[in-house]
Amino acid sequence: MLKKFISVRFILTIGLILSVCFAAYSIYYKIRYWGFDWAPKKSTTVWTIEAQINFVPTGEPIKVSLTTPKVSKEYKILDEDVVADGYKVSKDTKENRIILSSAPREEKQQLYYRILLFDNEDGKGKIPAPVPSNPEKPILDEQKMAVAKELLELSAKQPGNLPQQVIRLLNQTPPDATVLAFLPMKKSQKEIAEATMNLLALKNVPTRLVRGIKLEENKKSFTPDLMIEAYTEGRWTLYSLKTGKKGLPEDFVVIQRGGDSLLDVEGGEDSVVKYSVLKSISSSFNLARHRAKLANQTTWFDYSIYSLPLSEQNTLKWLMIFPLAILIIVLMRNVIGVQTMGTFTPMLISMALVKTGFWSGLICFSFIIFIGLLIRALLSKLNLLLVPRISAVVIVVILMMQALTICGYQLKLDIAASAVFFPIIITAWIIERASITWEEDGAMNATKEIVFSVLVAIITYFVICNEYIRHIMFAFNELNLVILFLVMLLGTYTGYRLTELKRFAPLVKKG
Amino acid sequence: MFGFGWLKNFASPSELRKAGVLGMNRRNFNVISKYNNRRLYPLVDDKVQTKFLAQKVGITTPHLIGVVSVQNEVKNLLEIVKGFKEFVVKPAHGSGGKGVLVIKRYTPTEFETTSGRLLTFNEVYQHISNILSGLYSLGGQYDVALIEELVHFSPIFSEYSYQGVPDVRVIVYKGYPTMSMMRLSTKASGGRANLHQGAVGVGLDIKTGKSLKGVMWNMPIEFHPDTNADLSTLEVPFWREHLLIAAKGYEMTGLGYLGADIVLDEFRGPMMLELNARPGLAIQIANGKGLAQILKKIDKYYPKKLSPEERVDYVLNKAGK
Repeated sequence: MLKKFISVRFILTIGLILSVCFAAYSIYYKIRYWGFDWAPKKSTTVWTIEAQINFVPTGEPIKVSLTTPKVSKEYKILDEDVVADGYKVSKDTKENRIILSSAPREEKQQLYYRILLFDNEDGKGKIPAPVPSNPEKPILDEQKMAVAKELLELSAKQPGNLPQQVIRLLNQTPPDATVLAFLPMKKSQKEIAEATMNLLALKNVPTRLVRGIKLEENKKSFTPDLMIEAYTEGRWTLYSLKTGKKGLPEDFVVIQRGGDSLLDVEGGEDSVVKYSVLKSISSSFNLARHRAKLANQTTWFDYSIYSLPLSEQNTLKWLMIFPLAILIIVLMRNVIGVQTMGTFTPMLISMALVKTGFWSGLICFSFIIFIGLLIRALLSKLNLLLVPRISAVVIVVILMMQALTICGYQLKLDIAASAVFFPIIITAWIIERASITWEEDGAMNATKEIVFSVLVAIITYFVICNEYIRHIMFAFNELNLVILFLVMLLGTYTGYRLTELKRFAPLVKKG
Repeated sequence: MFGFGWLKNFASPSELRKAGVLGMNRRNFNVISKYNNRRLYPLVDDKVQTKFLAQKVGITTPHLIGVVSVQNEVKNLLEIVKGFKEFVVKPAHGSGGKGVLVIKRYTPTEFETTSGRLLTFNEVYQHISNILSGLYSLGGQYDVALIEELVHFSPIFSEYSYQGVPDVRVIVYKGYPTMSMMRLSTKASGGRANLHQGAVGVGLDIKTGKSLKGVMWNMPIEFHPDTNADLSTLEVPFWREHLLIAAKGYEMTGLGYLGADIVLDEFRGPMMLELNARPGLAIQIANGKGLAQILKKIDKYYPKKLSPEERVDYVLNKAGK
């Protein structure tokens, strides 16, 4: 008998060790090839940039050439697609342009180019840039040249390096009289850009125009932002035309550098390109496939949960946390020795708390249980049979949830609105059990049971609510196998429970 | 030292092991799951079956007046108990005294319980209906109600108990009576004999049936809190008969580890009320010693394949040095 017992524990221990090894390798693999992370990754942001091209055909063969975002430094292309019926699509990768051509057409044309970008974590490096030749001096008349020189002198008083000084001077409010002589009062971005480039050219600083898109949520129909890039201290640096701030702004995608036009349309006139940006937060898992592809590791990926549609993934993400909650319950009951109401009731309460939010859920739950017990006390006076009585309690719970939700909505109390998320049947059972315990073992025991159940639920809640733990349990779901063996191994735990250390303390002869 | 005073209330696991305390996990894993085949549970969980099995092996139990198994029969209650002055209603699958209704006196319309509460026929009807619908059964499944003759518990214990029937719980391991205690109901326990509800447990010397020590709420006590009876003078008569009933429980059910609840009837002597396949561990506290050592000793040294009588005699004469 004893031998058999040891062998069971032995087998389970081996299983546990194997599952730990497997999980360790699997975690390594996922981190290495799929780009998973221990931290709940700031879900990768996916940007959809849509360029809408409108033009009126002139009756000649059409050739549309659009600059596409320069990728590689900060962003990677996830997907690209063109909506242009009947157009031939070709790409000029060198120039970063997409070319759409078609036979002559008549109606007004509307074409779409859509690109999905995501943060490229790996590609954050410097792109080598060739040293540009000295810029050509702008051709200015004498008067303008004098103003320009004066401006350059004035700009020296501004903070920052040369390009910054110039930009800041030009943007000064109210504008300096000298600036007004150089630029109109109401100046466009483009005019500032040109003025800055001219002034810097006088100082032999090479510059170029940069067009790009500031990635912001739900931006619609806008023209790309302008920035300026100046070659100083041996490299190209971006400058904001508004503030003179150095460097690439956050969430900014460069579409084009240098003077080429954004859009060239042959065989059309009145051409306009408008951009829209849509931000979608995509879990890193969605991009994992892309990463796996880049690393040539797709075989396993196709059979993992991360290749499933998002809705299924979310369900599974929810399920994946269950084993951990179960482990906690096992620990609580068999190692700590807490008596709870029903085995998995605390787990279900904690699951509900996740959906309702902690305090509101707790308040709401206490309220439902309290009122439920009152009503149950009334019901017991009626001496109903068991099944109809529990059914009545269930219905009362449903009605209470309904009332709470309506009141919560009308009184703008979010707390009450969370009532809906409690598992109805479980709540009814808690009420029923509590009231039976109340009748038979007294209020003390009933309260104790409820309090312990809620306590375990709260502990479970804090564990499963932890962003890190949730992420880890989903991203590295093989850990659930470890939990399985751990739970089974706990099934052979024959040591004392923590509460028994107190309970049986009188049996130890002191001194 | 500072702020760790509460630790005094805790024993270390090694201390408990030394004292031979059997923990819940160990009981479940090493004892119950090993020696109590699940298949046998229905024998003790169903009191109707228990009763018939007990009769087979010659264990005295309270007489069965009748069984109500369908709702339709509940209204015939008065016919069933016709000729009996008093009766007890209990659920066949109940545990821990839940759902037991003891009627001391009754007229067709009014029923008086032992605690003096007056119930209408409707309330008794309702109570039986609840039993049938499974309110007191372990899994909530449909149940039947037993109607039994009242135990006239021996007056020698009356001063030790506040309401309720004091009973003797004997733990039987592999057929050997191992540890025993008397459970006395108190005001706090609401007339019930469960220690966790606040009943008093008095450990009994397994050889003599004499009181060892009393506990209530896990704390040692010397006098019954309600009747002030001196617990140290408690002595159970017909001790051998008590042990014999308990020991026969092994043959009757085949359970290697069981708890027998035995009451002493004034006229019929000790009789078995019920058997329990998962007896609790509080008995260790009442006895002031752990079960684990004794179980080990039984495993190692006690002879196997003895008759119940031989086992009881073995315990009474030889066991424990």
